[in-house]
Amino acid sequence: MLQSFRYMAPRTRPELLDLLAEYGSRAKLLAGGTDLLVTIRAGVHKPEVVIDLKKVEGFSGLSWSQTDGLVFRPTTTINEVLQDARVRKDYPLLAACAHDLASYQVRNRATVIGNVVNASPCSDMAPALLCLGATAVLSSKSGERRVLFQDFFIGVKRTILRPEEFLERIEIPAASAGVKGDYRKLKRIQGHDLGIVGVAVALKGGKLNIAVSSAAPTPVLVQGLDAGIAVEAAVEAVAKATSPISDVRCTKEYREFMIGTYVRRLLQEVRA
Amino acid sequence: MKIQLTVNGSRYEKDVEENRTLLRFLREDLGFTGTKEGCGAGECGACTVFFNGKTVNACMVLAVEADGGSVETIEGEVKDGKFSVIQEAFDRNHGLQCGFCTAGMILSVKELLHRNPKPTEDQIKDGLEGNFCRCTGYTQIIESVLDASGQLPKKGELHHA
Ligand SMILES: Cc1cc2nc3c(=O)[nH]c(=O)nc-3n(C[C@H](O)[C@H](O)[C@H](O)COP(=O)(O)OP(=O)(O)OC[C@H]3O[C@@H](n4cnc5c(N)ncnc54)[C@H](O)[C@@H]3O)c2cc1C
Ligand code: FES
Ligand code: FES
Repeated sequence: MLQSFRYMAPRTRPELLDLLAEYGSRAKLLAGGTDLLVTIRAGVHKPEVVIDLKKVEGFSGLSWSQTDGLVFRPTTTINEVLQDARVRKDYPLLAACAHDLASYQVRNRATVIGNVVNASPCSDMAPALLCLGATAVLSSKSGERRVLFQDFFIGVKRTILRPEEFLERIEIPAASAGVKGDYRKLKRIQGHDLGIVGVAVALKGGKLNIAVSSAAPTPVLVQGLDAGIAVEAAVEAVAKATSPISDVRCTKEYREFMIGTYVRRLLQEVRA
Repeated sequence: MKIQLTVNGSRYEKDVEENRTLLRFLREDLGFTGTKEGCGAGECGACTVFFNGKTVNACMVLAVEADGGSVETIEGEVKDGKFSVIQEAFDRNHGLQCGFCTAGMILSVKELLHRNPKPTEDQIKDGLEGNFCRCTGYTQIIESVLDASGQLPKKGELHHA
C-alpha cells in the first residue's frame, strides 16, 4: 500500500512551473514511476503531491537536429531510445546502455531523465551520457540552466537540481554521432539486475572517454585520454578516479578487478 | 478521483484513491484477479498487463495514470470461450505449473511475438527477462514460445520422425 498523496497532471509547461514553484520539495515529479513508486512504497519518499509529467504537451518523443543534436524529453522512455533507428546507427553506446537497463516492460515506462535524476551510482544511462558529452537543461520559473552531466551528480542519489526546477531536456551533441563505443555491465545473474560495475568507453576524434557506474558515490567520467594510450595507463587512470566499496552485491576488490578487466576488453574492442 | 478507462474492450468509470496502483485497482475494484501481485516492486513481472498497447508492471503504475487509457489483461486473451494461440501452446507444452507467473508471462510473450514473430531461444530469454517463474525452470516456457511461433514440430510429426 502506498502512503497517500495528491495526484496532479498539468497539461502545459507554465502550469507545471507554477506547481513546482508552489510545492517545491513537498512535491515529487512522476515520469515512468519505476523509481518513484517503489521508493514511496518503501517509505523513502513521502511527497504531499505527485506531479505527473506525462500529460504535459510537448514532453514526449525524441528528436534530432544539427544544432541541438539528439534531444530527450521528460517522458522519453528507454525503449523509445533503444528502438530509434538513428540511435542504433549513430549512438551505439546509448543503445548498449539502454539495453542493459532493467527488463523489457520496465523499459517501456522508465525514462532516461528519471534515470539520471534518480542519480543512483549504478545508473546505466549516466555512463553513456557522460562519455558522449551530453548536456542537461534545467528549467524553473526563473529561467534555464545548462550543465554537463559531470557537473550534475553530486552524491549518492543527489544532483544539483533545485526543488523548484525540473530537467526539461537532455541534449547529446550532433558531433557525438558516429562515436565508437560500448558498455559492459557485470550482474549477479544473466537476467535483469542492477549492476555490480558498469564500464562505458567512447572513442571520439583522437580522444578516449571512459565512464564507470557503481564505482563511486556518483557515476565517474575519465575524459580526454589520448586515443592511443597504453592499455595499462588507461586502467590506472580509471582506478585513480574510482573508489568502489563492498556491499551486498560484492566486495570492493572484486569491483576493482572487474573495472580493470572491462577497461582492457573495451579498449581492445573499440580500437579494433 | 474519478477515472475512465477501457479494460479488455469494455469501458469503466470509477472513483479511485490517488495512491492506488493499477494492479490493486484491476484486481480489487474491477475483479480482474488473473493479474497477480508477486513482489509489488517491478522485479517479478507477475503483474504484467498491456497499457496503451505496451506491456507494463501494473504494480508500478497508478490507477489514476490510466485515466483515458486502455488496459488488456489475461482475461482478454480468451475469445469466444477459446484459448489464444499462445495459451494453447502453454497448455500443450506444460508451460506452467502453479500458474502464478502465467498471466504476466503470456502477455509478455504476446508483446515479444508482436515485435519478433520468430524469436530464437536467446531472444526469448532476453524478451522474458522481466518475468520470473519459480516452478517450471523455464524450459517448458521456452518450448511453449517456440511452439506458439510455429518453430516446434507438431507432436504427431515428432513421433513419426
Ligand atoms: C525492477 C527494476 C529494475 C531496475 N533496473 C535498473 C537497471 O538495471 N539500471 C538502472 O539504471 N536502473 C534500473 N532501475 C531503476 C529505474 O527503472 C530507472 O532509474 C528509470 O530510468 C527511472 O525512470 P522513471 O521514468 O521510471 O523515473 P521516476 O520513478 O518517474 O522518477 C525518478 C526520480 O526522478 C524524478 N524526476 C523524474 N523526471 C524528472 C524531471 N523531468 N525533472 C526532475 N525530476 C524528475 C522523480 O521525481 C524521481 O525522484 C530498475 C528499477 C526497477 C523497478
Ligand atoms: S508484482 Fe509487479 S513486478 Fe512483481
Ligand atoms: S508456474 Fe509457478 S511460478 Fe511459474
